[in-house]
Amino acid sequence: MGRSTTIWMQRLLVLALFSLAMRSAAQQAPAPASNEVVIKNAVVMTVTHGNLKNASVYIKNGKIAGVGESVNAPASATVIDAAGKYLTPGIIDSHSHLALDDDVNEATSPVTPQMMMQDAFEYQDKAIYRALAGGVTTSLLLHGSANMIGGQAVVIKHKYGAGRDAMLFPGAPRSIKFASGENPKRVYGGRNELPSTRMGNFAVQRDALVQAQDYMRSWDDYHAKVQRGDKDASAPKRDLKLEALADVLRGKLMVQIHCYRADEFLTEIAMAKEFGYHIRAFHHALEAYKVPEKLAAENIGIATFADWWGYKQEAWDAIPWNAVLSMRKGVRVAIKSDSDDFARRLNQEAAKTMRYGGATEEEALKMITLNAAWIVGVDDKVGSIEVGKDADLVLWDGYPLSSAAVPNKVLIDGDVYFDRSLPGYGMPHYTEGQ
Amino acid sequence: MKKPLVAAALLMWTLLFSPATSAQQPPIALTGGKLLTVSHGVIDNGVIVMENGKIGALGAAASVKLPSNAKVIDVTGMTVYPGLIDSETSLGLTEISAEDSTNDRIELSDEIMPHMHVYEAFHAESELIPVTRLNGITNAIVAPDSADTLPGQDSFVQLAGPSAAEMMLVRDIAMPLNFTGDQRRNESREKRKFPETRMGMAAQLRQAFLDAQDYEQRAAEYDKKKADAIRDKKPEPAAPKRDLKLEALLPYLQGKKTIVLAAESPSDLETAVRLAREFNLKFVLNHISHSRPVLDYVARLKVPVIVGPIYETPKEYERFDAVYSLPAELNQRGVKIAFASFDAHNSRNLPYQAGFATGFGLPPDEALKAITLNAAEIWGVAGQLGSLDVGKTANVVVANGDPLDVKTDVQRVFISGQEIPMTSRQTRLRDQYSTK
Repeated sequence: MGRSTTIWMQRLLVLALFSLAMRSAAQQAPAPASNEVVIKNAVVMTVTHGNLKNASVYIKNGKIAGVGESVNAPASATVIDAAGKYLTPGIIDSHSHLALDDDVNEATSPVTPQMMMQDAFEYQDKAIYRALAGGVTTSLLLHGSANMIGGQAVVIKHKYGAGRDAMLFPGAPRSIKFASGENPKRVYGGRNELPSTRMGNFAVQRDALVQAQDYMRSWDDYHAKVQRGDKDASAPKRDLKLEALADVLRGKLMVQIHCYRADEFLTEIAMAKEFGYHIRAFHHALEAYKVPEKLAAENIGIATFADWWGYKQEAWDAIPWNAVLSMRKGVRVAIKSDSDDFARRLNQEAAKTMRYGGATEEEALKMITLNAAWIVGVDDKVGSIEVGKDADLVLWDGYPLSSAAVPNKVLIDGDVYFDRSLPGYGMPHYTEGQ
Repeated sequence: MKKPLVAAALLMWTLLFSPATSAQQPPIALTGGKLLTVSHGVIDNGVIVMENGKIGALGAAASVKLPSNAKVIDVTGMTVYPGLIDSETSLGLTEISAEDSTNDRIELSDEIMPHMHVYEAFHAESELIPVTRLNGITNAIVAPDSADTLPGQDSFVQLAGPSAAEMMLVRDIAMPLNFTGDQRRNESREKRKFPETRMGMAAQLRQAFLDAQDYEQRAAEYDKKKADAIRDKKPEPAAPKRDLKLEALLPYLQGKKTIVLAAESPSDLETAVRLAREFNLKFVLNHISHSRPVLDYVARLKVPVIVGPIYETPKEYERFDAVYSLPAELNQRGVKIAFASFDAHNSRNLPYQAGFATGFGLPPDEALKAITLNAAEIWGVAGQLGSLDVGKTANVVVANGDPLDVKTDVQRVFISGQEIPMTSRQTRLRDQYSTK
């Protein structure tokens, strides 16, 4: 008992320090990675051009500068010996709500496109660290699914300890979250408000888009007048909500739709055609296997679970073969977490697709790297081990597509952000209470 | 009094673990596989014979004589292992989590509900059960949800059988006592409903056990008075009124059955253990996910621990692997552990939790044990289940690899020697839509 009491006092002290740290820590972003690093002797799983055994990856200025059995790295470069280890691209979680605390859903109206997740993003949330320790380097942080049209997402890199601005993914495109099905109708129906049915859901969505069309037209008219040199032209009043939706119609926002049922995919596709926008991906998409050709024809990706099911009626027809059946019909498939828990072991979730439907190793890995990057819109920068891409890499103890694999090191932009061999949190750029 | 009980229990075992319909079935022999016996190592190129619902023989190929009428199945290249046991699920108590009409998981009207019996709600035809057993889970503890301190009694089930009666191997096998802080009635802040603190929960539990002791004593006094009255040929005294709640607590107070003591933090754990000791309860521990600072204390208790889910989020001040590594830490201290999914839909993923724990230092053979033999020992069914041994119930799984790995595909499942069709609602949907 004496020992446990002591430990508790130590813990209290740690807690006290922790709260101090929360207030005062000026967490230092590491200097931009100008240093050069070579990871040697790894099995390099490139995702785009196979596995390279006993290979090296050369990193310069945060980018991948060389990949192969031998690379042209200067002798001064820091060497990481990765003998017996596997190197993969950093995992990309294409559907996450971490670091949004209780601010996921602005459930006061079914149409809230003006919400910016960037404004709520809690960059000190330890969930970011725990996902990092599971190999996640990039996440798409989405609004919740209470609203038919939710807010705008933020894309982050998991540079825990580097400070808020350093964590925002530079140049990532903007995404907006739509939702359909049970959640909006339950939230508003429960209050005896519109929508309480799927008909109501789509009516709310269509109504908002019609308003956005009018708004867009008024601005287009205004700009046309200005173009013509009309000195009397007066600008319409800015409306953040309609401005965001007008950006959807203009194709400036990628549309990410929370959607489970096959019939609702078809309705959403029809709606997108009616208003002239494109759907980037259906999220959850547990019934994609019922209509994969329809999604493939529209170049719509899916961000789905490996085998989660039965938690609500619209998840009742979920089958673990969904990812591979859809992929075989040409759908671009990502496995995502939608959970601070699953985010920590997406490699295992991806590996399940090898068992359920026989995805190849590369196909499985793509579902948490390159395909996920495409859904987020950053596949030109991350998602594979190729020269010129960001050096976001995971070095694994053991074969990554297995139950027992654990990240040994995680690098983002060439910097080691997680190192399992270090004591404490295992984060070289983060010290609590500093 | 004791002997007839034991005899009745034995009879029940015999009846329950004997398959109802396999009498005419010829023996089945699996040949060429790698047998993970769990109890006595690995046998490469082994043979296992299943006869009359039991394992009739097993060993290296050369050492086992196949019965002449055996149906021989070549499983060369496969691993063969005992059916997995999930040490806590809500299988049969839920179908669709968010649809209340399909849930029978917990009575929330009171915290003290020991007279709830999950076997009276167990839905044998649940679509979740085939999904679960297709991944090699053949047995499970079915427990009520943990929102009450005493939510009712667990049963031990087999995940195949002609009806709920045959699947229910041991009714009221154990009783959860939950003390994680989550059982408080927080809504009582407005409603002023007791208990809203841990003190309140502890006091309520203590009173319940005291009431049961009192109930037991009155029953004994009644028995004596009645015997005296009969002896003296006097009118019999009035029998005390039966109280189902208190009656349900008696086997636990008498140490005949196991309490599953759930706590998370060291303080809750130690309070719960003190309570259990106050009433001499026989207990195993459950969860203790955040009790890392007191694992030596846990080891000194010399009781098994149902660990997990190891996916429980660490506390803010803890390292990322604080919970992942608990199974290894406990195992190192000599504590017997078993894994549980604490789920229904995802019970099928039980082996992956064990596999993940090996990434954090749990030896793989101990991980497999923690979902087979350890669980069988904890639940008192190791005579019948938990390993590949002659005489045990033939719950046998054939898979194309390491049972703990996510990529491994389970090929065949035998429950009481009967081959289970590898179909579920999910495979039917798969087949329907992949052939269109």
